[in-house]
Amino acid sequence: MKKFLRAAALLLAAVLVCASFAACGSAGHTANNTEYVIGLSGPLTGGAAVYGVAVQNSAQMAVDEINAAGGLNGVRFKVIAKDDTHDAAKVAANYSSLMEEGMQVSLGTVTTAPGLEFSNLSKEDNLFFLTPSASGNDIPKNDNGFQMCFADGNQGAVAAGYVNSTGLKNIGIFYKSDDPYSKGIYEQFMENLDSSIETVEAVFTDANTSDFSAQISTLKDCTFIFMPIYYTPASLFMTQAKSIVSPTATYYGCDGFDGIESAEGFDITAIPQEVTMLSHFNSKATDGAAAEFVKKYTEKYGADTLNQFGASAYDCVYAIYNAMKEIAEGGKEIPVTISPSELCDLLKGKFTGGFTYSGVTGSEIKWEANGYVSKEAVKYVIKEAD
Amino acid sequence: MTEKLKRLKWKNFLNCVVVAAFTLVFGVLSLTGSLNGSSIILIERIAISILLAVSLSVVVGFLGELSLGHAGFMCIGAYLGGKAAALLDPVLGTGVLSLLISLLVGGVCAAVCGLIIGLPALRLRGDYLAIVTLAFGEIVRSLFMNSSDESFGGALGLETPRFDKQSLFIYAFLLVLLCLVVIQNLLRSKHGRAITAIRDNEIAARATGINVTYYKLLVFSVSAFFAGLAGVLYSFSNFTVQSGKFGYNYSIEILVMVVLGGMGSINGSMISAALITFLDVNLQTLLTGDMAVLKNFLYALILIGLVLYNNAPALKGFREKYRLRAVMERIRERKPDPSKERDDEAKWDRVPTKIDMDEVLSVSPLKSQGDETSEPGEEERP
Amino acid sequence: MEILETLINGLSSGGTYAMIALGYTMVYGIAKMLNFAHGDIIMVGGYTIFVTMGLTGNPILGLLAAVLFCVVLGVVVERVAYKPLRGATPLAVLITAIGVSYLLQSVAQMIFKSSPKMVMIADLGNVEFLGLYIPMYVIVTLICSVIIMVVLSLFVRFTRTGRAMVAVSEDRGAAQLMGISVNRIITVTFAIGSALAAFAGFFMLMKSPSLTNTMGAMPGIKAFTAAVIGGIGSIPGAMVGGIVLGLIEACSYKITVIAPYTDAIEFLILILLLLVRPTGILGKKRREKV
Repeated sequence: MKKFLRAAALLLAAVLVCASFAACGSAGHTANNTEYVIGLSGPLTGGAAVYGVAVQNSAQMAVDEINAAGGLNGVRFKVIAKDDTHDAAKVAANYSSLMEEGMQVSLGTVTTAPGLEFSNLSKEDNLFFLTPSASGNDIPKNDNGFQMCFADGNQGAVAAGYVNSTGLKNIGIFYKSDDPYSKGIYEQFMENLDSSIETVEAVFTDANTSDFSAQISTLKDCTFIFMPIYYTPASLFMTQAKSIVSPTATYYGCDGFDGIESAEGFDITAIPQEVTMLSHFNSKATDGAAAEFVKKYTEKYGADTLNQFGASAYDCVYAIYNAMKEIAEGGKEIPVTISPSELCDLLKGKFTGGFTYSGVTGSEIKWEANGYVSKEAVKYVIKEAD
Repeated sequence: MTEKLKRLKWKNFLNCVVVAAFTLVFGVLSLTGSLNGSSIILIERIAISILLAVSLSVVVGFLGELSLGHAGFMCIGAYLGGKAAALLDPVLGTGVLSLLISLLVGGVCAAVCGLIIGLPALRLRGDYLAIVTLAFGEIVRSLFMNSSDESFGGALGLETPRFDKQSLFIYAFLLVLLCLVVIQNLLRSKHGRAITAIRDNEIAARATGINVTYYKLLVFSVSAFFAGLAGVLYSFSNFTVQSGKFGYNYSIEILVMVVLGGMGSINGSMISAALITFLDVNLQTLLTGDMAVLKNFLYALILIGLVLYNNAPALKGFREKYRLRAVMERIRERKPDPSKERDDEAKWDRVPTKIDMDEVLSVSPLKSQGDETSEPGEEERP
Repeated sequence: MEILETLINGLSSGGTYAMIALGYTMVYGIAKMLNFAHGDIIMVGGYTIFVTMGLTGNPILGLLAAVLFCVVLGVVVERVAYKPLRGATPLAVLITAIGVSYLLQSVAQMIFKSSPKMVMIADLGNVEFLGLYIPMYVIVTLICSVIIMVVLSLFVRFTRTGRAMVAVSEDRGAAQLMGISVNRIITVTFAIGSALAAFAGFFMLMKSPSLTNTMGAMPGIKAFTAAVIGGIGSIPGAMVGGIVLGLIEACSYKITVIAPYTDAIEFLILILLLLVRPTGILGKKRREKV
């Protein structure tokens, strides 16, 4: 009898727990919205936090501006950011809770590794997302996904085109073999590189992110080193290699180099070599939209997290806002409780139907039907050779 | 009838009943559409964690070997099972049949790897084996990480078809049931007794005719098999499988579940797996910024505190006095009735972690002689 | 030339590995436990150097502070976490050590955040040698590690404490009967191991100025590999093992095809070695006893 009672108590507890899970239904999360909800998932903590925080800040800044100007026909916007620590395994939970908080349109993920998961999840609900910085080639593979940054393949191809045009005979390549971003650019770069150019390759992996002596010794004779990596390892490499690699050499990075001059403890002026990057945002711009963004951002959040990820996120919010505004002006009403799927169909049609946007990261930005962005790349010299 | 029921000792299967009840209730809730997305994800995660914790518990709590590569077995299951599912997708779609085949593929491949890792276990004990399993986990991760895009997706991860999320967790809990039945039956049989005997004293076990080789390999492959199943479930609940997840830290997280649940307690492992996963998923949104590290801090404190409390020889008297059961007995002001204390069969999952003689008699090729007091007349083996 | 350069690179990282491996090997030999937190002591040393250099700007002061702090920390960890478990099962000790490793990492992250800190110890420049540019730090690391190992060997050979350490590692019970305080010897061992870890942290920072809370984890595990290669418990073995591992790593990074698999290769060597010859290159063969 005692055993039976115990079992019954356990069962009762089980039922209670179940009941607590089944708090609300799964459909119609946007029915109670009083604002348009923009969701995003990004690394707000961990090694890549500087990107996630920049995106969160910039998106918030853009939304604040839009709201201050009266929103869209009086309806305000709201940004919800969830932390994924650059880990794909956390995206599913973030996505669900965003949906439950009424997300109608999204900035996707900040980084590529978790982006694929997000892309697939959003396909199921037909949720429109315009990612500021997840540059993987497959991120916009479904028709509901768009990018504001260059896709990796695009960056690799542009970089290879530049190298082909310089007439160099041999170049060095330094990339991270276990990082999707780095490897993606590398592969496209190699595909588009003239076969006559000789390459010397050095790779590194997560486990030895700090000691590059072996790689430096491989690359030390190169006068041009292509580095499709993020800036933290790049700054380490340059610091360790500054007196080994020829002082007339050029380091050429992609958008991951962005912010390298403000990397903690890294003194770029101590590097004798030239440091350049391929980017769509110039943080040293003195006029135009970019300069204005830099000014506003540093006033509000300081220069620590100022980078092109943020600039791109700022543009994403405005691009979505402009598109919604044009749709509304075209006579189509967008109720505040619109479902993600309905909004997605409207925005998809807009973005693939000749919509252009001019902002911080370029002017006359257009989108191709496959979700890739089409805009001009800036080759930007971060530091000239001594 | 009552006689039969009495003999069934259904208390031993109470955890199965509870799991089954959970499955049933959640299944009904899910079918009526009253479960939201994040609850479903949480339940899936809990099922996966339980599979991992219970399977690791067999190795750590019952065989007495430390495995730091449990996530590696899960990784193999996730990648190979996920690959099988991706290959089957155009033929069979993503249904129950494809799930079953993938589970089989992932589980068996992981079990084979468990067998391979079990081989060093025959020669090595303790610290060395722990390092070997850790090395194994890192090797597996590194191989998948650097695989070509066509084979396993390399750094970008393997894209796998996703199972219908409204019903996957039901299958996940059915697997938990299967795991419980298999493992508890194994442990409750004479095999289980042999396994704990090896834990308590390998030499003595060998001397009594227990086939140590066989049991060690058996435990490692059974444990790896269920970790592999957990991996396949993981791949079915996500669109991408990235090897970065299955690192050393994840193995430690599973170990924390086992230690928190109490070494050598299946039920404890289950409860702590559910608890830690619940906290993990909920803290993910609560603890942001650099506060996220508090989780690791907590894990560390749990590991150190619990192990010190449970194992420190100096605390032995204290432990006996303030054990939960002893306290309960004292509250009821009743001494335990010796006639009702059954042999250890009744408490098969509550065997003390190790007998004290172990330190005196333990034999390891890598330990110096200083640790062992050899008595005259004893045999020396090469 | 290429080969010579690779060799020098390998020797330099091998020297650092050897220093970490020495800590492992001594603790294992004497306390009979795998100190999983050893790698994280390196990290603590690194942060101590970072803080001291922020205050004074002097790298030598930083090194001294790191040695001092690590010694204290090593002893405290031993007293608080490992000593109560003396006589408990090896499994319990191992799990506690893992817990300590996790604890140090998370506390470091709480204090210093997760973004890497940069510590520029000193810019020593290069030495030109046979047409090769060899960074000065490589030479400094090599020379220092050789000196440390010689001093350590002499210490173990010729001092009372050193001989007591050998005695304890040979036979703890007998040593105790001879009037050696085993607890004191174990404490001294932890102190020496932690000091070596602080040195290793200094050399690692000299090579690469990035400081994170996990900087010691991987080198720690690899150094354990080195200790096993050389034969655990043997001081010259740790040195040889460290150098061998450093050379393997440097060669592996040189070959583009296998470079991404370097870690896997090192771990594979560890597994195979443990299977074939668990006593390592210089380890003593021991008879199994009942």
